[in-house]
Amino acid sequence: MKVLVIIPAYNEEENIERVVNDMTSQYREYDYVIINDGSKDQTSAICHANHYNIVDLPVNLGLEGAFQTGLKYADLHDYDYAVQLDADGQHSPVYIKDMIQKAQEGYDIVIGSRFVTEKKPWNARMLGNRMIEAAIRISTGKKITDPTSGMRLYNRNMIHEFASNINYGPEPDTISFLLKQGVAVASVQVTMQERIAGKSYLNFARSASYMMRMMIAILLINNFRKR
Amino acid sequence: MSIALRILLIVVSVFSMVIMMRKIRQSKFQIEYAIFWILFALILIVMAVFPTLTIRLATLIGIQSPVNMVFLMIIFVLMAKLFYLNIQISHLEYTVKELVQKLALNEHHALDSEAESSDKEAVSAPESSDETENTH
Repeated sequence: MKVLVIIPAYNEEENIERVVNDMTSQYREYDYVIINDGSKDQTSAICHANHYNIVDLPVNLGLEGAFQTGLKYADLHDYDYAVQLDADGQHSPVYIKDMIQKAQEGYDIVIGSRFVTEKKPWNARMLGNRMIEAAIRISTGKKITDPTSGMRLYNRNMIHEFASNINYGPEPDTISFLLKQGVAVASVQVTMQERIAGKSYLNFARSASYMMRMMIAILLINNFRKR
Repeated sequence: MSIALRILLIVVSVFSMVIMMRKIRQSKFQIEYAIFWILFALILIVMAVFPTLTIRLATLIGIQSPVNMVFLMIIFVLMAKLFYLNIQISHLEYTVKELVQKLALNEHHALDSEAESSDKEAVSAPESSDETENTH
């Protein structure tokens, strides 16, 4: 069984070494690939100096394009499972084992969720998470406990489908669309770390437009999409 | 606003939404771009269904005929969209230029190193396969 860990990285010079060294020292059973999304800092140089397995995108594509590059790599090299691991260190590879186990029970996508056994707190940060969860519930009738979690595992069929289509970003609206189409999605309890270094991409305006996009896509557009 | 204009606004909005959904269905349109047009169509429908909103806004600014308010708003929104599109085009041109230059330099580099290695192994078999050639 071949498992690929995809690490999309944009300006992560402060984190990438720690994340990859953790991977290669403790989890040798998984292959990994770093997708450098046209970083302007030393991310690429650090990776090459350490002889990491890295794909350098010549221009910045954004998370969707970068992650899809990783899935194309997985599709090309016939991997059975691919999992997204953020380069800022908030995801821990320790949970990949549980996620694979779950996938082998017959699931196409397994989400590393913070709220399977834990309760979701009532605070401003979880407001968007709750709204998307509600939208998915309305649209598909199913419960996704942590739709905004970036740690997701895809099986071979999903790798191929995500790698070769447009409008297949690694985002909750795609998950909701596939759920609606009968794809089997499961969640596994994980714990996430706060980002240790560097700054988050999200601010208020970006969050608002992200929420707008998710709501319109999940509640309206997904009803008309064809797989 | 006349009834005919209100109906026209609604018909055009619904029609444009239908076309967009079809394009998304055929995988020819990115959802990111559809969001703007959906919001735009929804606003037109709101203006057509609740004309008092438009009339109140028109008197506030001092426009005599509310229909001009509708036109003004559409023109403003489209101006903003056009400006944004122009920014995106220049970004795209930059991206294409970067890619073409990178591709050309890589190819040149590959040819150079190929020539070097074939100089060294002049005795050995003919040229290696055309790995560097673009497959598309």
